[in-house]
Amino acid sequence: MANFEPNGTVHHLGLKKGDVGRYVLLPGDPGRVELIARRFDNPRFVAQKREYTTWVGELDGVPVACTSTGIGCPSTAIAAEELHAIGADTFIRVGTSGGMQPGMQTGDLAVISGAIRDEGTSSHYLPMEFPAVADLDVVLAMRDAARERNVRHRVGVAQSKDSFYGEVEPERMPISGDLERRWKAWIGGGAISSEMESATLFIVAATLRARAGGIMVCIGSPSMSHEESQASMKDFSIDPVIDTAVHGLRLLIARDRAAGA
Amino acid sequence: MAATESDGRKHHIGIKQGEVGRYVLLPGDPDRVEIIASRFDNPKFVMRRREYTTWTGELDGVPVACTSTGIGCPSTAIAVEELADVGVDTFIRVGTSGSMQHHIKPGSVGVISGAIRDEGTSRHYLPMEFPAVADLDITLALREAAKESGFPWYVGIAQSKDSFYGQHNPERMPIAEDLQRRWKAWMAGGAICSEMEAATLYIVAATLRVRAGGAMLILGNPDQRPMTEAEIADSNIDRVIDTSIVGLRKLIAADRAAGRIK
Repeated sequence: MANFEPNGTVHHLGLKKGDVGRYVLLPGDPGRVELIARRFDNPRFVAQKREYTTWVGELDGVPVACTSTGIGCPSTAIAAEELHAIGADTFIRVGTSGGMQPGMQTGDLAVISGAIRDEGTSSHYLPMEFPAVADLDVVLAMRDAARERNVRHRVGVAQSKDSFYGEVEPERMPISGDLERRWKAWIGGGAISSEMESATLFIVAATLRARAGGIMVCIGSPSMSHEESQASMKDFSIDPVIDTAVHGLRLLIARDRAAGA
Repeated sequence: MAATESDGRKHHIGIKQGEVGRYVLLPGDPDRVEIIASRFDNPKFVMRRREYTTWTGELDGVPVACTSTGIGCPSTAIAVEELADVGVDTFIRVGTSGSMQHHIKPGSVGVISGAIRDEGTSRHYLPMEFPAVADLDITLALREAAKESGFPWYVGIAQSKDSFYGQHNPERMPIAEDLQRRWKAWMAGGAICSEMEAATLYIVAATLRVRAGGAMLILGNPDQRPMTEAEIADSNIDRVIDTSIVGLRKLIAADRAAGRIK
């Protein structure tokens, strides 16, 4: 059970039971929470503490929330734990990531079915052999949403890393050889998207018996030069991944309702 | 590229290009291959070498095959490599497993969405951080089939172990404490069943860009208590064979609808 303050709020998020429903969208960036929540009916600001900003609203009459995790797995684990302690059981990560397969274009969506545990937090929960796997129904809802919205997308594995600059500038790290060799292995395994939170989200959710998934917009690809990647950002918009995530969440809510859940 | 003999047959499985289609069911036990293939139209024996027995047939007019992997990830990796090399791109594991949750009773069907890499083979392919994940479309097809079967079913993670007796008699192993501590962790993570091939199947498939999934009959109990006679009577292998055949037909239909079958 997460730590509660005397006033009934969870220690880091500043939320209390009843503030949020079952469904939570999880961007990394607190500045993106309001943007996402504006897609809800009756969007309302609830709390802001540290990197955790929370807004709530409804979709099809069902309470939904959006809470930022901050960057990285340590703060994401805290967000998932404390949201679960006040009643959330369905977590959908939404955000930006790096494209990892040749032929990918900036703006492609990645529906995350599993994650490479290239981070330090999830080892505090389960040994490394345990796979970080997304919930099947969340994955299916996100894929259907991407199909229905006709957005270029792939379903696949994300690399969840702890070091942003280790990925984008490996050559200046003392362990550059290891970073580059492992990066090649992840691509060899078919990873599609490099980001910083999914692996821990999926592992923590597994231990809490909660559902988790994610949808990311991809920037660049290994077949693009740095300049091409920069140029590809000219028409970049975060809106399609947010719209698809919200649409996918509506599909999931409808299916949960049909299943009597 | 897998090793090939002068007659075009792959080194270990003895199959050559054209003998099997895209879809292969993978039991562990060579003696179970004919039983599974008897559900195909026009079942034909093709080859037996070592622990690899292969039969073929058709489902809804599409060539399908069944090849045994033998027990364990080392022989499974070889089967997958050599089958992929003769044109297979869809692998469905079918077999038996041990329950890892107290609420999952013997006779249930487990659809394996991911696997714990508690084995030695898959690390020859990818570092341990990489997740062993099943193909989404195979998992969906098997889940639909399991739902229709009327038997209790679960979607979840399997433990893929290298040591059968390390799971069943951990107390007599010198590393008993490690085995017991890790078993508890896998249960706490929500793993549904314990088997010996899925993790390597999924990791090798990831590197080959082919699809893999699996359905397992769940037997036994997480505390290794022997099954009761009633539980044994309720644990017919036909359940999971039927589920895998129905699931494969659903997958073939979905592939056809998506234009993925010529």
